[in-house]
Amino acid sequence: MTPPLAGLDGPWWPLLSLVLFAALPTALWRVMAVLFARRIDERSEAFTWVKTVASALVMSVVAGLVLSPSGALAAVPLVGRLGSLVAGLAAFFLARRSLAAGVVAGEAVLIASAWYAMGR
Amino acid sequence: MTASAGGRFLRGARDALVLPAWVIGFSLSGIGPLAREVGHPIEIAMASTLLVWAGPAQVLFYGSIAAGAAWGTIALAVCLSSLRFLPMTVSILPLLRRPGQGAFEQALLAHYVTVTTWTESLRRLPDLPVEGRVPYYLGFSNACILVSAGMTGVGYLLSGALPLTLGAGLLFLTPVFFTLSLTAGARALPDAVALVLGFALTPLATLLAGRGFDTLLTGVVAGTVAYLIGRARRRPADFEALPP
Repeated sequence: MTPPLAGLDGPWWPLLSLVLFAALPTALWRVMAVLFARRIDERSEAFTWVKTVASALVMSVVAGLVLSPSGALAAVPLVGRLGSLVAGLAAFFLARRSLAAGVVAGEAVLIASAWYAMGR
Repeated sequence: MTASAGGRFLRGARDALVLPAWVIGFSLSGIGPLAREVGHPIEIAMASTLLVWAGPAQVLFYGSIAAGAAWGTIALAVCLSSLRFLPMTVSILPLLRRPGQGAFEQALLAHYVTVTTWTESLRRLPDLPVEGRVPYYLGFSNACILVSAGMTGVGYLLSGALPLTLGAGLLFLTPVFFTLSLTAGARALPDAVALVLGFALTPLATLLAGRGFDTLLTGVVAGTVAYLIGRARRRPADFEALPP
């Protein structure tokens, strides 16, 4: 475990470390965005580009969670994880674009795969 | 059909409580056990959800402390993982713009941006009148963040009590919800291209750039290709629209 910084240890260290090393590095980008967004028009080319890049970024995070998972999800084989995602998408479209139907179907297939893979 | 600010706020909160708030809440319940592992008290675990409000950043923070990483390395990793908030927030703020809005209000709105609130807002806000968007967004986001902080606390208390199959289901909630939410929000061909390439190029980017930088590489490449396809399709129409 990483030891507290010398001289700053104490009852406030957990909160201080959270603010310094997790909250501020994240807030940095939110504040930068406020400075940038004032100069960006909703219908501009730059805005359109930023939006497609952000969509692809998030999709890539999702791909990472599915393709190289951690914890209990890693015990489900790749075919089970991808199959569950496909099942979720299929149910979503079949149920007239219902998010809830898609999530329930995807989860059902995933939990069934996990149950099967872990030998019941 | 109420059009008052309070009505919009409650409508946003209600829409969040139907499903999205619980999805992100479940995904952040996993932060509780991680925080407990490094000896943080339950209120700090819950504060991490309120103050950081970014699942991957919180996972990195607690995972890195447990692994004994240097503080500078932890801050850099968190910083890189949160880079996605720049384009996400830049793309959501113009939708929430209203006359007389100061930088402080914008910074407050920016704090609530996370993958769930972003995908759902991008999908729902354009259909709302401009003056109703901020109250709706605040209702939606506050419901998400408060439910999630509560769920982080529940995860802290439940630590390790879940069977493995349900644990796998819990971890799958985030990817399946985001995939569907992004799909639901895709309005035109470029959006669909960005999603398909964003998924498909990730394994290649992981090989080329390694974990940590692969997301950024994929996002820029897939997003730019999708944007260029959209622009190529828009051009001819623009010329047709010109007066003779």
